[in-house]
Formats: sequence, structure tokens, C-alpha cells
Amino acid sequence: MDPMDAIKVTFFQECDEQLAELESGLMALEAGEGDRETVNAVFRAVHSVKGGAGAFGFEDLVKFSHTFETVLDLMRSDKLAISADAMHVMLRASDVLADLVHAARDGGSVDQGRCDALMEELDQLAHGDAAPAPSAAAPEGDAPLYADVEPDEWGFVPLRVVMDDEPPVGEEAWKIIFMPRAQLYAKGSDATILLRELALLGDCEIEVDDTLVPSLDTLDANGACLSWTIILHGDKDEAAIREIFEFVEGDCDLIIERTSVSAAAPEPPPVFAPAPVIAAAPIAAAPAPTPVAKQATAPSAAAASDSEGKGGQPAANATIRVDLERVDRLIDLVGELVINQAMLAQRVAETGVARSSNVALGLDELEQLTRELQDSVMAIRAQPVKSVFQRMPRLVREIATATNKQVRLVMDGEGTEVDKTVIERLSDPITHMLRNAVDHGLESTQDRIDAGKPAEGTIRLAALHRSGRIVIEVSDDGRGINRERVRAKAIEKGLISPDVNMTDEEIDNIIFLPGFSTASAISDISGRGVGMDVVKRSIQALGGRISITSNPGKGSTFTLSLPLTLAVLDGMVVSAADQTLIAPLTTIIETLQPKAGEVRRLGPNRSVIAVRDAFVPLVDVGVALGFRKEAAQPDSCVVLLVESEGGGRAALLVDDIQGQRQVVIKSLEANYQRVEGIAAATILGDGRVALILDVDGLIAQRVSETRAETQLAKAG
Amino acid sequence: MPAASSIRVLVVDDQLTMRALVRSALQQIGFSDVSEAPDGEEGLKTLIAKGCQLVISDYNMPKMDGLDFLRAIRSHEPTRKTAFIMLTGRSDKELVQRAIQYGVNNYIAKPFTTVGLKQKIEAVFGALT
Repeated sequence: MDPMDAIKVTFFQECDEQLAELESGLMALEAGEGDRETVNAVFRAVHSVKGGAGAFGFEDLVKFSHTFETVLDLMRSDKLAISADAMHVMLRASDVLADLVHAARDGGSVDQGRCDALMEELDQLAHGDAAPAPSAAAPEGDAPLYADVEPDEWGFVPLRVVMDDEPPVGEEAWKIIFMPRAQLYAKGSDATILLRELALLGDCEIEVDDTLVPSLDTLDANGACLSWTIILHGDKDEAAIREIFEFVEGDCDLIIERTSVSAAAPEPPPVFAPAPVIAAAPIAAAPAPTPVAKQATAPSAAAASDSEGKGGQPAANATIRVDLERVDRLIDLVGELVINQAMLAQRVAETGVARSSNVALGLDELEQLTRELQDSVMAIRAQPVKSVFQRMPRLVREIATATNKQVRLVMDGEGTEVDKTVIERLSDPITHMLRNAVDHGLESTQDRIDAGKPAEGTIRLAALHRSGRIVIEVSDDGRGINRERVRAKAIEKGLISPDVNMTDEEIDNIIFLPGFSTASAISDISGRGVGMDVVKRSIQALGGRISITSNPGKGSTFTLSLPLTLAVLDGMVVSAADQTLIAPLTTIIETLQPKAGEVRRLGPNRSVIAVRDAFVPLVDVGVALGFRKEAAQPDSCVVLLVESEGGGRAALLVDDIQGQRQVVIKSLEANYQRVEGIAAATILGDGRVALILDVDGLIAQRVSETRAETQLAKAG
Repeated sequence: MPAASSIRVLVVDDQLTMRALVRSALQQIGFSDVSEAPDGEEGLKTLIAKGCQLVISDYNMPKMDGLDFLRAIRSHEPTRKTAFIMLTGRSDKELVQRAIQYGVNNYIAKPFTTVGLKQKIEAVFGALT
């Protein structure tokens, strides 16, 4: 790749970072949360985009960012107030800036009318509230981008330095060898301070001698191992030098002698001639935060020599960019390793080796390490949800404009981390839920005012971790779900029967049923022919769940939860009708051995089990999945008490529990097809395929059957 | 006539893009020892560790901006005489004037060309070989 092209790629990557920073900064300012540094950061973001754009000749981008920057500069210098109106203009300007950047990157074009209109609005901001922008700022777009030399209209004369390749011959200087003894440090003296004082006398070359520093295991932390050789240029009085060491004279060895510096220093620094132009050479400024010379910072640190070496530059940024493919390959391999390790463990167990044998113990250790390895590899793929969240404010702004509503988006938990594959698939459902919230959830501005609510609606988008899953909540403070209307509509469409008794929660969740849509006319915003049922299905395909709770007049909350990773799962290995199945451990509350009296039959195939004070529907897994026709005898089986995301409980009847294991999830849909009651598949230690139970599916199936039965019973 | 290859340069800018652009231009001019730092604080550490003779620094940076960086360099004995060229915007007259007070050696407005940068450096060091 041409080096310039490579830099261009970097530029666009950085632009994306800048744009994200710009938007979040503007939003913080809009919410009144920003401080001076926020304004600076926002300015810097636009400024940086402009700088790079100029270098690559993206003139549209330069022009727009320049206008934008001018307004931000006024704000930065307090010439323009941070008002909500100004922030709205700027947020929209940041959208246009993003479009321009993407157009420059992908070679597309932008909506020129929108671009010009915003330039005008920005100009108005700049000129309306403030003194006219400095004239020098205006014609930048016209200036040649590659001007070679600027005429120095500001009367600047460059400051010359003279590089002397040869050190001055025979220059006299002081050579000071300073060797502190341990008692110097013990008395609280600081070699650094002494060296610093010495440096005030004149130009110093300080060299640290660390040859006496022993290896770390023999290092006496209270000892003194470092000594310094200082070449002090100039003809200062010896007394002046001795004065510095006056108080430590007995605690160190000090040699002070006149020397010629012809070849004293291994690499003499260039000597600069002070320029005549500026008389005041060193500025008396605030003391700088870093020590005078690194050589003199840490008398006891054996590492001093290390940090002075070639690799001494501190790591500015301890991150690396890695191709996603490589990470995926690594994850695949670790997945295979997990399976292989499980197989190995099983083989060894089959040979009848004692649990306490060295082989078995070694395998236990291997399992532990494999698990840690897997966790670490998974952590590489974990990313904060911010990358998805940061696209949402713009979306909400655009829908708000289209629906003529005032909306404020509040985001929470952007730092919540989740596997990258999950992140990628979060975008669509969140987009849909937000559209729905603005379009259907929030009332019109007038309705809100009539209802005594603030004109501006608030939508909250939050991410959090809850019991090994990531939960995304989208809540609005709108009208809530009109249950009467939803119910009537569902009956009208034949989705539910008119005489069904439903809880409020159940009615609310009708909106996820296929073929349901309450909007009388399909709205342009959240309509698009896609209903909430599609959202629900796409989330279920990821092993996720979605539900809604609503409070009439107060608002609704969508709750979406997904597994943190789509690659592995902690499961309980069970057998039912000679099949090996996996139940996700997170769904299991407890396991029990049922007694004959606890199970009550409700019909030929229906039964419930008494668990302490409650009856829980009993699902014979073998029958539910069609492995056998006849239900098993409960008292010879094991019951897994499971709970679904929605809180529904069921007792899964299985023949036996084999153990607990971490399994690698293999999609059944991708390799075969979707099967009711099965979430995915995995490969067991012996190489056989085992199915992973979809606990929610099984519960939902059972609940709906039970309801139908209840209806039948009532009718009969 | 100092040789460009004998001058150790430090490029300080918070933008990777701008650092890459300056580095690329410097390499075309003939500089071979070029270090980078993302802000003034890191810049100062690198400058001391590497003993660079020329700093080319942006102004607008988080943590420590270009002017504070220049001031810090000028108030440290070991770095006091380092040549300092500031990268500025095209209309930053005020900034340039403040930089002059702090003892900037030269400045160059963005966007710049390789030839332009070379001239700015030569104005400080004399013709480069």
C-alpha cells in the first residue's frame, strides 16, 4: 500500500473516533453536564478532522469543519453561550460532518442542500451572538491547500540554532563524581535535589553509573548502588559546587576536578547558540511536572538504567489492533481444545484410573487451565456496547424530527462489555425498539402538555449485566400500552380467544405475537412491515429473550436479554429416553428427586409436581421432544426445577443427571434447522452430538398447552 | 551544514494521522531518527529519554497543550535548548505570538507540504544535507 493510502486509512479510523467523541461531548453539553474540557475536546475533534482533511485535500470536509470549528472556538472562548438551541444545531452539524467523512471515505456524495443549510445555521450562530468571526478565518476554503511557504505576515523571524558537530576543543569544565553512601538516603537527603541544584549552576551532562546495582534478589533496598558523573560546563567557582554538597559531605564520596571535555561525554549534545532575536531566553514558567533529568530520579531504583536504554520510551498506548479473523481462529481453536480435553478426560475415566492418580489430577489441572484460557480468549472479544449505543442518538434525533416530537435520549451503561458477535446483532433490535418508543411510545408534544408532562419526552437506553447475561432496557415516559385496545385488536385478529383471562403482563406481551400491529396506519417510522414479532424471533435466535412492562400513562420498558457469549455455555448434562441432553445451568434453580405422592396427574399427559408450597407444571423432556410416547415413572427420575427469563417455572423430568460441563455451542439452525424446544447443539467428550434444551421454549409450550386445557375444562 | 540524518526528531500530536503525515514528510527530507508521542506529557518523557534535538509539536492536544509543552521544555535545563517547531492552524496569529514569547523556533501551518516543512526546519538549523 502507498504510505499515503495507509495514512488515509488511519485518518478515517481516527475520524470515526473523533466523531463519536464529538457527539458524546455535544450531548453532554446539551444535558448541561459538560465542563470546559468537554468544550475543548469537542473543538479538538472537529479541528483534527479538519487538519487531516486538509492534508488529503478533502475540500468539502475542510470547508464544513472549518465553519463548525469557528463556532466551537467562539464557544470555547466564552463568546457564544452554550444553549440548547445551539446544541441542536451542532448535533445536526455533527451528523452532516459524519456524512461528509463517510462520503470522503467511500467516494459517495452528501445531501448538499442539507450541508449548505447547516453551514448557514452555523454561520448565524457565529455571527448572531458574537462579534463577526475574524476575517482571517473566512477564506480558508479558497486558499491553496498545498501552499509551499506562507508569507510571514505576522512578522515572525525563525529562531536559529547552531548545531556543532564537533564539541569545542579543550573547553575547561568541572568533573564531579558523586557517590552517595547509604546513610545519605537514610538521613532523608535526596540525590535528585542535589543534581537539580547542580544543574542550576550551568550546563550539565549527567551520567549515572549503575554497575554496582546487583540483581534484584540480592538488592538491599536501603543500600546505595548508584553514583553519578557530572560534567559541569562553565567556570563556576569550586566553592559554589562544594556548597551544594555541604550538608551531605560526610555521607558521600565526592571528587571534584577540572577537566577538559574534548571527549568526555560519549555523545555530546548539540550546543545551541542562543539567538539574538529573542533576548529573554528561558521563560520563567511554572515548574514542569517531570523531573529534571531521568538519570537522577530514582536513587534506589535498579530499573533506572533500564528505562534509559533504547527501549526506554514508555508505552504510550498499551493496546494493539488485531485482525478479527485471527481472534476468531483462536476462539475456534480453543473451542476445539475444550472438546478435546473433555474427550481425553472421558477416555481416561473409562480406563478406570483412580481419581487420585497423577494422570487424573493432571487432567483436572488441564481442565482448569483450559477453562481459564477460554475465559481469557472470550475476554479478547468482549467489547463495550458503546459502539452500538453511539449510533443511537442520531437515530433518535432523526425520528424525533420526522415525528415532530421533542425527545431526549439518556444512555446508561455504555461501558458494559459483551461478546463482539452479540454486539453486532444488538444494533437492529435496539434500533427497532427505539423507533417504536419514539413513534408509538411517546405522545405528541401537545398530548404531553395536556397530560401535564414535560413537553420533552425522555427515552432511556441502558445496558447492564445480570446473572451472566447482558440486559438492554429501552424505556420511555410515554403513554404506556393501551391494554384495552391491544386486547381488542388481538381478539379481532383472532390471536387470542375473547374469553381468555389474561394478566396485564400477558396483554402487554401480545405485541410480540406475529401478525399484530396496533398502528391504524402503518407508520413510516417503525412500520416498515416489520413487527415486534420479528424482533422477538431474531433475539430468540441468539438465545435471547425480550419482554415489555408497561405502566399506563407513565410509559413502557422493553427488556432484552442476551447471553454474554454465543460460543460457550455452562450446562448440566442429563439423559432422557437414552438421549444425552444439555440444560443451561443458568436456568436451573434446583434439582430434586420426586416422590410418588408429589406428582399429580391432570390428564393423560399432563401432570404437576408439588415443590414445597406450590404446584409446578411437570414436563417430561423425553415426551416433549418426541423421544418416547409414554411418560416415565416420576419416582425413578430426576426433576430439574427451571425458571425462564419471564419468571415462569417448570419442572423438567429427566432420567438421570450425568454431570456438569462447559460445552461449546454449535448452531443447530446453521447446520440443520430450527427445532422447537432445542436451542442449539454441542459435541460431547465422546464425540457424539448432544442437544441443548431451550428451557424458555419448553416452558412457553407447556404454559400455552395448559391454558388451552384450562379453557377446554372451562368450556366443558 | 547539519545532516538531517544526524538530528533526532520528536513528533508530538494527539492524532495518529498527523504524526504519520509529519513522519512521512520528515523521512522524505532525510530524517531517520523520528520518535512520536501523543501529548505533551509523554512528549517530555520521550524527549528526555531520547535526547531529541528537534521537536515538531501540534498545539491542540489533551492533557498538556503545545504551549505548555514548549514552556516545560524551555524551563528544563536538559531540554531548554531543543529546537521547537509548532504546528498551527492557518489563522492562529494569537497562538503564534504567544509561542514566540515562549521561545518557539518556528511554526508551520497545517496543511503543509514536505517542501514547506523542509524550509521551516532549514530556517532553524540552516541548510540540511
